[in-house]
Amino acid sequence: VLNFKYRGSPLIPEMATQEVQLNETLAHLKTESETLKSKLEEERAKLHDVELHQVAEKVEGLGQFVMKTRRTLKGHGNKVLCMDWCKDKRRIVSSSQDGKVIVWDAFTTNKEHAVTMPCTWVMACAYAPSGCAVACGGLDNKCSVYPLSLDKNENLAAKKKSVAMHTNYLSACSFTNSDMQILTSSGDGTCALWDVESGQLLQSFHGHAADVLCLDLAPSETGNTFVSGGCDKKANVWDMRSGQCIQSFETHESDINSVRYYPSGDAFASGSDDATCRLYDLRADREVAIYSKESIIFGVSSVDFSLSGRLLFGGYNDYTINVWDVLKGTRVSILFGHENRVSTLRVSPDGTAFSTGSWDHTLRVCDDCYFLSNLTTLQPRVTFLVTSCNVCCFSLFFFFLSDLGLRMRTQRMKW
Amino acid sequence: MKDGIANNSTASISQARKAVEQLKMEACMDRIKVSKAAADLMAYCDAHIREDPLIMPVPASENPFREKKFFCTIL
Repeated sequence: VLNFKYRGSPLIPEMATQEVQLNETLAHLKTESETLKSKLEEERAKLHDVELHQVAEKVEGLGQFVMKTRRTLKGHGNKVLCMDWCKDKRRIVSSSQDGKVIVWDAFTTNKEHAVTMPCTWVMACAYAPSGCAVACGGLDNKCSVYPLSLDKNENLAAKKKSVAMHTNYLSACSFTNSDMQILTSSGDGTCALWDVESGQLLQSFHGHAADVLCLDLAPSETGNTFVSGGCDKKANVWDMRSGQCIQSFETHESDINSVRYYPSGDAFASGSDDATCRLYDLRADREVAIYSKESIIFGVSSVDFSLSGRLLFGGYNDYTINVWDVLKGTRVSILFGHENRVSTLRVSPDGTAFSTGSWDHTLRVCDDCYFLSNLTTLQPRVTFLVTSCNVCCFSLFFFFLSDLGLRMRTQRMKW
Repeated sequence: MKDGIANNSTASISQARKAVEQLKMEACMDRIKVSKAAADLMAYCDAHIREDPLIMPVPASENPFREKKFFCTIL
């Protein structure tokens, strides 16, 4: 921003000419920027020959789904803000507003470890790939790693290791393929890659114009990239080695709260405060689907794909979870159960279940209730159910009648 | 004072230059048609849908979160 104070009467004549020159350069660069932007849009539009849901018309429909809560994890004293699965598909780490980070065994609902952070609003937590450590952070502007010990009595806080240092809150963190490196995103508008052992900054990623709220690493087969979403409504794809932003998408109308790669790595989904989820294809370099309904007006806090990528789960601020058919763009299920907004959602590593965390202080683990889901499409099951119900009812009725008859006969005999 | 103007303008100029460089780089990207991208997404779904436990039923023994099923279920 130019210093307007000196515009009126510069003290030295050279200053005036210099200022004019700088102004011209800036204006020239701005025009060039605008021209390039419209050219980019043109190039993208040329390849937009069809919509995803049109291509997906020939794909078999999924029918309605009925999801059921299998476990409810209670123990947090305040809003659950973030959660992550362990690679063993049974442990979960979760963090909450009261500063507590808890490691659960989701099968038994037992708490295995609990750590109290020195700050409140622990907005990010992640499980290490080995399962031997967890990382977390929030309003302390740091990301700390806690090695998990088998000894339940050991004070985890004693072994805490401070890894990342930002100048604003930590919004998300994730280990890379090993326990050795952590990727973080922050309210200071940057993402950063850190070495866990030394705490050294390996690479920083600048490009967002506002707080970065979420990040997700590309599936390991697809190389060293990650995607981040921020309050500037942009989703950026970054090269982890060079720190360069390689692609940028700006179609959301509000903050992007969650981003998640499609299992093949060729696309990613985003969830935003504008109440929509969107799918962006990386090779077509554009948005290819929007998942929205007029009746859905509350923001999406978190998204995740099922194992095949056919289902997209979205946790919403209206306390529900909407499940979308990724290809057709339609909603296949809506889940109720939480008593406050859903803040975090992750599908388990083997895809058998998904877990949600909420401001109602609980976490839930849900999966597909196949019997009910397939009820409408499998005629034999319906017939069997109806017949068996009828048989049960009639037999009960006959039993009752015969019992009544017996009683009456005994009564008559008494007389 | 001279430095004041220079610093502010050079900062915004370097920012604008970075934006232009970024856009030039993004413009050079090789893109594919949406029809091809959509076909690939569908192919991936199709190849993996049978292994997706949230879509295709798996026996209760393989899903540790499900309790043993009883003969009759209450709808």
